[in-house]
Amino acid sequence: MALLEVENLRTYFYTRAGIVRAVDNVSFTLEQGETMGIVGESGSGKSVTCYSLLGLIPRPPGRIVSGSALFGGVDLLSCPKEQLRRIQGKRISMIFQDPMTSLNPYMRVSDQLVEPLLVHDRMSRSQALTKAIASLEEVGIQDAANRINLYPHQFSGGMRQRVMIAMALISRPEILIADEPTTALDVTVQAQILELIRQRQKDLGTAVIFITHDLGVVASFCNRVNVMYAGRIVESAPTDEIFNRPMHPYNASLQQSIPALHKKGQALFTIPGFPPDLTVEFHGCPFASRCAHAGDICKEQDPALKQIVPGHKTSCIRFQCGEIADVRSKNFVSAV
Amino acid sequence: MSMFLELENLKAHFPIYRGAIFRRQIGSVKAVDGINLQLRKGEILGLVGESGCGKSTLARTIMQLIPTTEGAVILEGRNLSEISRRAVRTERVNFQMIFQDPYASLNPRMTVYDALAEAIQTRQQFDKKLLLEKVGRLMRTVGLPANQMRRYPHEFSGGQRQRIAVARALAPQPKLIIADEPVSALDVSIQSQILNLIAKLSQEMHLTMIFISHDISVVKYISDRIAVMYLGRLVELGPATEVVEKPLHPYTKALVSAIPIPDPQVERRRQRIILQGDPPSPTSPPAGCAFHPRCPYAIAACKAQRPELEQKERHRFAAWIRIGEI
Repeated sequence: MALLEVENLRTYFYTRAGIVRAVDNVSFTLEQGETMGIVGESGSGKSVTCYSLLGLIPRPPGRIVSGSALFGGVDLLSCPKEQLRRIQGKRISMIFQDPMTSLNPYMRVSDQLVEPLLVHDRMSRSQALTKAIASLEEVGIQDAANRINLYPHQFSGGMRQRVMIAMALISRPEILIADEPTTALDVTVQAQILELIRQRQKDLGTAVIFITHDLGVVASFCNRVNVMYAGRIVESAPTDEIFNRPMHPYNASLQQSIPALHKKGQALFTIPGFPPDLTVEFHGCPFASRCAHAGDICKEQDPALKQIVPGHKTSCIRFQCGEIADVRSKNFVSAV
Repeated sequence: MSMFLELENLKAHFPIYRGAIFRRQIGSVKAVDGINLQLRKGEILGLVGESGCGKSTLARTIMQLIPTTEGAVILEGRNLSEISRRAVRTERVNFQMIFQDPYASLNPRMTVYDALAEAIQTRQQFDKKLLLEKVGRLMRTVGLPANQMRRYPHEFSGGQRQRIAVARALAPQPKLIIADEPVSALDVSIQSQILNLIAKLSQEMHLTMIFISHDISVVKYISDRIAVMYLGRLVELGPATEVVEKPLHPYTKALVSAIPIPDPQVERRRQRIILQGDPPSPTSPPAGCAFHPRCPYAIAACKAQRPELEQKERHRFAAWIRIGEI
């Protein structure tokens, strides 16, 4: 059985401008110990999906309209608050993009690190402190016994993210949700942090949900990838398949627009238009208006995620019915 | 031959003071510490480095927004560090900047027309009709419909706003444009639109530009030459493709190898150099080569001697003392 099973998740925000369908019918499963990536551009609903699982959606304006998320026999979306609190930060924990805003600037690192142990594991303070120091050492912070008494601002950005990781992993969670954990960091530090997460994951057997907009990070880090667009998953496949055999035009054109694959002087491939306004209810495929392969059927029929080969799903209607075999755009000349 | 823009041993240091009554200087942040660089007209120079390495300070020093501590900025033979502050103000029309965050760099209370008309008229006053025409033409140049010129910035998306920022930078017909991380805040699909626009305009209008980014693949795509900065100094300089594909300096090597490549097969085969630690603080840079504490090739001599940028091959420069050996 899968570790986490999310089905038909819909999270809407009821705002003055209308109903924002931030997450619209998202289903996925997470297996033990795997690394699953969620990629998408800003506003595609990748963070809201994960916030929904942990009960972090502000209400109002947000509301989980439908869906279930089964984790060890418990539905995270409908279970009582008390039960969710025992899971949050203990069996499922999260790290965020900006370690400065997610650490409390008024609290010493030591106090923040021992908190989950005191609350969830009812350890004594001295026991907890010993464990906290060990956990800092495990994330590569030298002289941890002294530095644990510092405040977050006394650490550099990369070091703060290490503290966050230590804190998230201190109670040995089964799932770690990482929401763009390296976006605010320099590339050299990003490489350190990715290596660290990989190492800790191997040691602890934690499953990781990795939210990112960077396809390069996905390629190096994830086993399986879900591509999100306008609040839906449009393609889901093992990492190699996502890159070598894309089955949704959005995924393909996203990859085609990366500068690394272009020759100098050659114009970059671009996706025309903008992502749709999520307050407007629309029929058909949300990507149709920007898609090079769109036909009449795409504007009429609502797409659904369907499996094409084992493990590889797409929501592209024309691909599903075999009308197109190559979802890449033709006006692109590969440099490789 | 005289160069279009020349930086001669350019330094920008910031003093650090301590004490309220007996204030005394206890040190300085050497944000930019001795940069020598020449730009040809029509050239795009990419400037890369980690945060805190002094890229943005260098840009602001060139624009005379930060006083130079030492050295000179010479534009078309005129030393800008020596002319009066008033003269700098009039001279500034010749430099324009494009910033990272188009949400913060446009005045929310000014319509697109107001913002562009003001920028156009920094050189010369025009009557209303002509101005309207010029604003319209400028908007079409950057790919925006001219009938939207009465709108406010918040009515545009992030990518469109960055187009407005590009238009505003072009408006006074500057000699030099400095783009400070102009695509870093944008999504991949929008990023490619803006990069295309900048590449197209720079070719058509023969713009001279310094393009700052932490993303080496973006810089490689857009620029003719790349300068790599570490802790206030240049460590490598050369033609863009060569610097990325065959880096000379160990820091450039590490920087290039740290970038994740969107191809899982390539990723699995790659040997990644993972640098230890963070960039050191510019208040107390390490003795000798500033990179030696993180450098996998460091030897005793690296601590003693600060390497200068030297020519290693045709058009290629690096500041590394062991370059002949390895």
